[in-house]
Amino acid sequence: MIAVNNLVKWYGPNLAVDHLTFEIPRGQIVGFLGPNGAGKSTTLRMLTGYLPPTSGTATIDGQDILTASHEARRRIGYLPESTPLYPEMRVEEYLHYRGQLMGMSRGDRKKRIDVVCDRCSLTPVRRRLIGHLSKGNRQRVGLAQALLHNPPVLILDEPTAGLDPNQINAVRGLIHELKDQHTVLLSTHILPEVEKSADRVLIIARGRIVAQGTPQELLQQVTAGAKVVVEVNAPQADVKSRLEALPAVSQVHTQEAEGWTLATVTPAEGGDIRQLLGQAVLDNRWVLREMRYETATLEQYFIQITAQQYQAPAEAAASA
Amino acid sequence: MFQILTIARRELASLFYSPIAYVVLGLFALGTAMIFFMFFAPGAAASLVGVNSGLMWLMIFLVPAISMRLISEEFRNGTIETLMTSPISDAQVIVGKWLGAMGFLVTLLVPLMILTAVLAFTSKPDWGPIFTGFLGLICVGGLFLAIGTFASAVTQNQIIAFLLTVFIICMLTILMYFLTGASFVPNKLIPAVYYINPMERFADFNKGVLDLPTVIYFVSVKALFLFMAVKVLESRRWR
Repeated sequence: MIAVNNLVKWYGPNLAVDHLTFEIPRGQIVGFLGPNGAGKSTTLRMLTGYLPPTSGTATIDGQDILTASHEARRRIGYLPESTPLYPEMRVEEYLHYRGQLMGMSRGDRKKRIDVVCDRCSLTPVRRRLIGHLSKGNRQRVGLAQALLHNPPVLILDEPTAGLDPNQINAVRGLIHELKDQHTVLLSTHILPEVEKSADRVLIIARGRIVAQGTPQELLQQVTAGAKVVVEVNAPQADVKSRLEALPAVSQVHTQEAEGWTLATVTPAEGGDIRQLLGQAVLDNRWVLREMRYETATLEQYFIQITAQQYQAPAEAAASA
Repeated sequence: MFQILTIARRELASLFYSPIAYVVLGLFALGTAMIFFMFFAPGAAASLVGVNSGLMWLMIFLVPAISMRLISEEFRNGTIETLMTSPISDAQVIVGKWLGAMGFLVTLLVPLMILTAVLAFTSKPDWGPIFTGFLGLICVGGLFLAIGTFASAVTQNQIIAFLLTVFIICMLTILMYFLTGASFVPNKLIPAVYYINPMERFADFNKGVLDLPTVIYFVSVKALFLFMAVKVLESRRWR
């Protein structure tokens, strides 16, 4: 559905996007992650036709973004990072305006506006001036205008920036509903969101893709790995030595917590050692207060992968 | 075409929402009335010739106040991004906005229409020159708006757009008047200098003459500035 081939963008002497190549098939939700300044917004702007690439090609549903630009744009619903709206227009007016620009007929527009307002929970504020809306509502209007002409592709640049947790949940739910009928390219740096809703993740740093795959695949690559945290009532040294003695355990880190010992146990091969530890607690006749399984998070993976990119130039400068 | 009208309609509605529009309308109405009554005296000719000329000068300063926000506002709002990622061309955007501003221009001339009715009740004016005079005002106003659209596309700052528009208009009018009297301009160029000046071109309309060269002049200069505006807008994409 979205096919990007060797996309490059120079802003004067700065290389913002460095030979980006990826493909997104129909119906997938793809999270586009990266630190600030990585080139996410630039890539999205190139795909939607706001900026021309310095070189490289991309197609949306087979339409080239340079040679068939209008056709490509018709197939995209775009929500820019700053959610730009006209404060002097009413919500309904604005949606009619966007519909007209997209080439929708009057009857079509009326129907779709009803549908879209319902989905984005905008019905109570339909007749309100956009300038009088809260941030959450504005974001929903932006999302509504992206969905209005029922495009096959949705490109959303940080759709939950600045929203409160309830609103984030609502937007996430909405995106999940869009799953099979639309292809969604979602740019964000709020990782828990991506972990839950995305089928695939693309991590970009300094203009290049540094990782891609399903969230599960990426999590398995986290070298930090899963750990188990156990809280027992035994002296620290004791806990440490006994647990480290177990064959499946590679390392134990203990600390004191209100008279109890908090032990963070790293498994040797990344398997699930909870059963083993539970048995060890029983064997040693300790009292267990808590056992917690700390899974690797996408955030750890992200930091691991993008931190390298930040260290590399420093090392290069040091060695130069 | 349909999308051009959509943009024009939205722009017109948006113009009426901003307070600048009402300031301009008020000042223009006041100016029209003052100029009208300067010429409206017993025994004076029943025509609007003097009024129209006066109005042209008034337009030099008031029309750029309308055009200065046409493109700059979109950049300030950030809505330029949604506009330029819609399936419409930059040319459609520029022409649509210009048309919206032209709609406002027609509203500016409403006080003049009312005063023309006053003239009609009190005398027997010659209707030919009055109609062409109106047409001429719309042409000149359209030209100033085209220059203003170009200036608005060039800069994000509305004040600079305003000053740039006034500057370009003055170059075309006042400077040209100055040059006709200047000694360093060769005689062969004097007709050219007169030709470029929209004030002189308007004089034809004022007399009641609908001349093809004059019409071509207005259409082509408007097209030139709108074309330049489109190119400036397109060039923003390269940066």
